[in-house]
Amino acid sequence: MKCTDEKIKNLQVFLKKSGFDGCAVTDLDGVNFFSDFAFAGPGDAYLLITLKKAYCFTKQMYAADLKKKTPYLTLIDSLCFEDIVKKAKALKLKNCIFAPEATGYIPGVLFYKNGFKEAEGFISAVKEVKTAGELARIKKACAISAKAYELFRKELKAGMTELEAAALLENIMKTLGGEGLAFSTIMAFGPNGANPHHINSKRKLEAEEPVLMDYGCKYQGYCSDITRTFWFGKKPSAEFTKAFDVVKAAHDLGVKLVKAGVKASSVHNAVVDFFDANGKLAKYFIHGLGHSLGTAIHERPYLNPRSEEVLKSGNIVTVEPGVYFEGKFGIRYENTVLVTDKSAKILTK
Amino acid sequence: MPKLDTDKLSAIRKVIKSKGLEAFILTDYNDIKYIMGPVFQPEEAVMLIHPKGVYVTARALYEAPVAADFPEIKIEGCDKDRDLKAVAAVKKLKLKKVGFDAMRETYHSGKIYIEAGFTPEDNFMVPIRCVKTEDELKKMRAAAKIAYKTYEHMAAWFEPGVTEKQAAEELDSFMKANGAEGCSFDTIVAFGANTGNPHYCTGNAKLKKNMPVLLDFGCIYKGYCSDITRTFWFGDKPSLEFLEIFNIVKSAHDEVVEKAVLGQSGAEIDAISRSYIEAAGYGKYFTHRTGHGIGMQIHEEGCISQDNDNPILENYCFSVEPGIYLTGKLGVRYEDCFYMTAKGIKQIK
Repeated sequence: MKCTDEKIKNLQVFLKKSGFDGCAVTDLDGVNFFSDFAFAGPGDAYLLITLKKAYCFTKQMYAADLKKKTPYLTLIDSLCFEDIVKKAKALKLKNCIFAPEATGYIPGVLFYKNGFKEAEGFISAVKEVKTAGELARIKKACAISAKAYELFRKELKAGMTELEAAALLENIMKTLGGEGLAFSTIMAFGPNGANPHHINSKRKLEAEEPVLMDYGCKYQGYCSDITRTFWFGKKPSAEFTKAFDVVKAAHDLGVKLVKAGVKASSVHNAVVDFFDANGKLAKYFIHGLGHSLGTAIHERPYLNPRSEEVLKSGNIVTVEPGVYFEGKFGIRYENTVLVTDKSAKILTK
Repeated sequence: MPKLDTDKLSAIRKVIKSKGLEAFILTDYNDIKYIMGPVFQPEEAVMLIHPKGVYVTARALYEAPVAADFPEIKIEGCDKDRDLKAVAAVKKLKLKKVGFDAMRETYHSGKIYIEAGFTPEDNFMVPIRCVKTEDELKKMRAAAKIAYKTYEHMAAWFEPGVTEKQAAEELDSFMKANGAEGCSFDTIVAFGANTGNPHYCTGNAKLKKNMPVLLDFGCIYKGYCSDITRTFWFGDKPSLEFLEIFNIVKSAHDEVVEKAVLGQSGAEIDAISRSYIEAAGYGKYFTHRTGHGIGMQIHEEGCISQDNDNPILENYCFSVEPGIYLTGKLGVRYEDCFYMTAKGIKQIK
């Protein structure tokens, strides 16, 4: 898939509608998102986007590649924040904005002193509803990670360490076309699954114990996110099976409730109530039900009790209930889903 | 198991004191990881280092595991506005002179800290993190060893018809099979004319006899990165142009190894390779800096670049990677990593 300026165009529509005539984007994720190009690190490029044009401040080493792939960007050979301000002045911009939560303190102060206005959340607002091009990439990333699970199950063996099993899974994703990881893979054996953010270790997989794996890949800059918990062996403990069935049912309920027009917090709360009604498990569900993803692994909207958002068609969210029993095991079951007017469509399958 | 690095902590406390401060706030994911090891994901925690201890506020789900694993740390869970929570902790501890890193903080949080009377500092952790401890060097040597061994394996692996992606998969699996935790960045494998793009993303080009091959890769070992690049001719009839460019690039690299000394700035060291390539008539085809700092992150401060007038001090670690790129035709880069000593630079291997 080619690089596209459709996200810049969406931003320009937003700017016009809101009465702004330009914006500065300086954080790496925002820059990569709008430019549709993979800059390697923070400070490699900044954008000044006006109603008509997109200026890209970057270094020379990217120039040849950018000219070829992103002809919609006007390149400026500088990485000086002052030059962004100068350009905005030369263009006589009157209502230029920046996102205070996605701008460093130093450039933020400079922008503010030069009359740029703070507009909290405008980058995430544009990111929330995915374009057709973005959806195609996210779907592919999701399909790769779901397929990887099947292949991984056939190759996982007792005696492998968590680190080895994670490497195996990551290689399978690469073979299937994944271009990198969406985040560090969590591979937790036995009681390690009880820590929702476990760090992979050299612990070896034993026969007859649970495995929790939370992972995702990137495809053309876009993430997927999936969690599976299963019993390795033939004799799952009754305790595990019972808890697993509740978590899976909680997940299914969450997916059923996700659709356009629904309050994001209400989906989380309904799952909490469900846990409460089924074995009083709510106190073991210690995190939010889900989050959106795109170029970043955590984006708005979030499915948690603090979320003030209403789901829209074209949103992507994860649904990932989990329960954690210290010293015993943890269970999380997660899919990435697409929000539509009538329902949620599971992409990680 | 991650643990609090008390050596690093006391080095940080010294710098806090030398700046006339009592305490310091760290928000940057890597800065916190530097002290605690891999516990949090990005943007999940804020750390306050004060004379009597270490305070952390993080996502609520970390409260129990961090309290159990880090008895030295006082942790409070907080799922929203951790900057405000940190300000409240400062008040409770009755700290008067608190610093924060204006270069790492968002404009949003920076404003809150300024209003709370905190002092902005620029890149507070940079000079501390640039100077690697013996323990860090040990990990970096181990990461480099895996990368060099991998290159030897790959040099004998290529055959006509393999694709760049297949080569990258083989390379990545070999690193992991030899102890790497992961790749330090997305491996670059470029065949033929693709070598002419310094920012190339590994694609589907097939290898044929008599074309150049460029491999730029590295791995992570115990949280620390390696980074090497090799360019070689596949086949027995290297073009004269390739040989000429290869010799210039390799000599430029070797000049730096021979001539760089303690006390020089990043710009002065950059000038060694740059002037060599300029004298050979290829100055305008060397489109990037000579090198970058390296450590826990693949790109750190302490760059060997024209715009770095700061001295490269003892135990700074950095890459030396001159290159020449003839767009659409051919490119050569040659890279190793080094650390600065009183007797000049020494290869990390």
